[in-house]
Amino acid sequence: MEHEAVIGLEIHAELNCATKMFCDCPNRIGDEPNLNTCPICLWFPGSVPKFTADALEKAALTAMGLNCTIQDRSAFDQKVYYYPDLPKGFQLSQAHLPLARNGWLDIAGEDGQPRRLRIHKIHMEEDVAKLVHEMEGRTPISLVDFNRAGVPLVEIVTEPDMRSPHDAMEFIRALRTQIRYLGTSECSMESGSMRVDANISMRPRGTDQLNTKVEVKNMNSIRHLGDAIVYEISRQTASLVAGEPIVLHTRLWDPEKRATVAMRGKFEGPCIPDPMVPQIVVTEAWKNEMLAKLPEMPGRKADRFGRQYGLTREEALAMSAERDVSEYFEAVVNRQVAPRTATHWIAAQLLPTMRERNQSFTDTPVTPARFAGLLTLLERDAINANAAREVLARLFESEQTPETIVERYGYRQVSNADQLEGIVDQVLAANPAAVNDYRNGVAKAMGFLVGQAMQASKGKANPKLIREILTGKL
Amino acid sequence: MQTDAFTYLDPSPSVWGHDSVMSPEQGPLAGKSLTIQPSLSVRGWPADAGSVALKGFVALEDATVIERLKKAGATLVGTSRMSELGLGLAGDTTGRILSEGRSDMALMTDMMGEARIIAARVGAFAFKPSNGTVSRFGLIGLAPSMECLGILARAPEDIVAVMGIMAGDDDRDFSMCGSEAPRFDHVTESDDSIKVIGFMKEPIETLSEAEVRAFRGCLDRLEKSGFRIREVSLPDYDLFRSVHHCIGAVEASSSCGKYDGVRYGHRTAAAKNWNDMYLKTRAESFGALVKAYLFQGAYFQFENYGAFENACRIRARLVKAINGLFAEVDALAFPTRSGSIREVSAEDMEGLYDDFVLTLPANVAGVPAVQIPGYCTDGNADYGLQIIGPRLSDGPLLSLAVRLSKMGT
Repeated sequence: MEHEAVIGLEIHAELNCATKMFCDCPNRIGDEPNLNTCPICLWFPGSVPKFTADALEKAALTAMGLNCTIQDRSAFDQKVYYYPDLPKGFQLSQAHLPLARNGWLDIAGEDGQPRRLRIHKIHMEEDVAKLVHEMEGRTPISLVDFNRAGVPLVEIVTEPDMRSPHDAMEFIRALRTQIRYLGTSECSMESGSMRVDANISMRPRGTDQLNTKVEVKNMNSIRHLGDAIVYEISRQTASLVAGEPIVLHTRLWDPEKRATVAMRGKFEGPCIPDPMVPQIVVTEAWKNEMLAKLPEMPGRKADRFGRQYGLTREEALAMSAERDVSEYFEAVVNRQVAPRTATHWIAAQLLPTMRERNQSFTDTPVTPARFAGLLTLLERDAINANAAREVLARLFESEQTPETIVERYGYRQVSNADQLEGIVDQVLAANPAAVNDYRNGVAKAMGFLVGQAMQASKGKANPKLIREILTGKL
Repeated sequence: MQTDAFTYLDPSPSVWGHDSVMSPEQGPLAGKSLTIQPSLSVRGWPADAGSVALKGFVALEDATVIERLKKAGATLVGTSRMSELGLGLAGDTTGRILSEGRSDMALMTDMMGEARIIAARVGAFAFKPSNGTVSRFGLIGLAPSMECLGILARAPEDIVAVMGIMAGDDDRDFSMCGSEAPRFDHVTESDDSIKVIGFMKEPIETLSEAEVRAFRGCLDRLEKSGFRIREVSLPDYDLFRSVHHCIGAVEASSSCGKYDGVRYGHRTAAAKNWNDMYLKTRAESFGALVKAYLFQGAYFQFENYGAFENACRIRARLVKAINGLFAEVDALAFPTRSGSIREVSAEDMEGLYDDFVLTLPANVAGVPAVQIPGYCTDGNADYGLQIIGPRLSDGPLLSLAVRLSKMGT
């Protein structure tokens, strides 16, 4: 019997709020242990949790950006378990009344066809503390860092719609793009601001039963997620072939062994409505306010870029896939640069140079204004493409305007016909063989001659004019 | 002088910190003394809530109500002895402190009627405000949805004055009721908005002959004073007790989760690993009654969640039913306590609930309740008159208490 995998994902994403979820402590990782704590997030006696509006807004924006419906009423529950990373014996989460339900994301399936993967629900919860295990002499000790305790999270639970590692990896890529667009979370699996657990079960292909699942945790990159699913599918398939039962439990991905390792039985603690945090009731007006804050998402932006700026589908996708690129692109176009010129120069010149120099749009000195200035000089034939590349390199190095750089370093293109005719005459006289070739129908001889003329002008000649003059003289 | 009625006495009650806006001589509560429980946070005071779990714990900051009382110039005398985490009244000395005149007023956590019961025992007034009227920030509690700060005083006017200072929005407690909050600046004996007083027939059926006689006598007196008395019925009345027990235990189990010995409070001397540390610390932290309560709560959490959900549904139904009664009458009268009240043994859970059966409905429903002495009496026994009103009718209820106190006993 042939089997197929049924995969659902549970994704925890840390919201990039300024504070924790129930107190005013900074939400900042990497600080000295237990620096960002207070009586509330350490749950001292007498403290009262204070739900922050920022967490609600960022969680709602995230849910809306993932096409979910915000529920009119949602509430926090206590997920009860005892562990030193939990300062009060329960975690505040939304088990019974989640913030949002019924979302989806589209991915390209393995066959290249679009596939819609559904999201079951999105709820808010607080993160737990971090445990650090060390040795004190020969005694193992466990230290608790409460800086992360109470950091706002959203948990995104998908429907079991995925059938392959490809689906799961593409879903996470699409999710990351959407959320980064929204600007509500960094979504880095590597740094732990996004954690993905996969629930995997097997069934005979063609049936729609849902069998006992196994939960796999601890993947810290999209590639590891794919690898863990591949491993788990083959492990479970082997069990099925051998006639062994699949038991509900949790496994950890071990990147060294490249295998999943049994960790514990799956734990489902009780979830009790919390009597301290008030229920959250949202109005239509509030939802509309949130909708107005929702940025234009990449799918719709790509459509608009195609329509409004005449970009090809490929160009529109390239300019819209990331929010900062799309905003940069529009800032340049709004300064009267031809959209396709902007697209070409951003994709082929600006982004690679920024990558080389390890810069982001927030810290690059090449602002949209300076970059647009450069492209305007190019479009007006004041400089040619070669010169433009060199001016761009100088834009990264100095604060000067592109105009100043062009004048100071002599990049201005020579478009004076008399001057250029002189150069062409010299080139023709010096290269009789090439002239002959051209006249005998060897078309690429023209390219050679143009190159010679450009060289003679030290790269400053207007190549279009050179070509015209050459054509006329031959 | 029996100093052991207090677990802590303020060494300098007339000298407040620099955060005090008014000196005690100037504030509206100048010259008024209050005793609190060690479950209400006063910066620098021990706050162990009567439990080994918090042995040696000193409050880091003032509770919101303490901040306001200090600013109003009240004198905080010290902390009374209390039962463990306020569950039951075993060992509580609040009544003694009041009847000995060592304090004009006392504040205590009212989870099932503690303030009203103690006041009835010593012939004092007590008030339990509506949920959401008084900030709970700084209150070390047990069952958040059931409890609030109760006030005991010999004179109802003192309760009005203290409520005027303590009540009102607090940006550190989001469960406050906001714009619809009751006001206390118009509480006077001339406020006669409560005209029709009802009484439920179901609790009467559980009373002894002497208790019924006292209560009937009390109702007659109220009728002669011009109130209309009406009998009403709430067939599910006996469910208040089960609902309180189930939900109270579950919430207590959750709120005691933080007593794990990791960050503060008692930690066991020796443990093999953290699991062992948890088990031993918690085993040493709680007394028998609290332990039984936490176990009962954990049972519903882990083994019988459905029963807890039913309790929540029944609670909603009870609130609806009692609101329905408030459409017929302005307030409801009960005796505060039954005559059989005794010092419960520390293990007796059912005995504990027996003692509070007449007061806990107000905690389940989150409505205000006031205890008035001198009306529900039989010979030497004063069972106390307890009157409860609709949620947020705190003002009219206190007006009624002032009025009845003026009518004389």
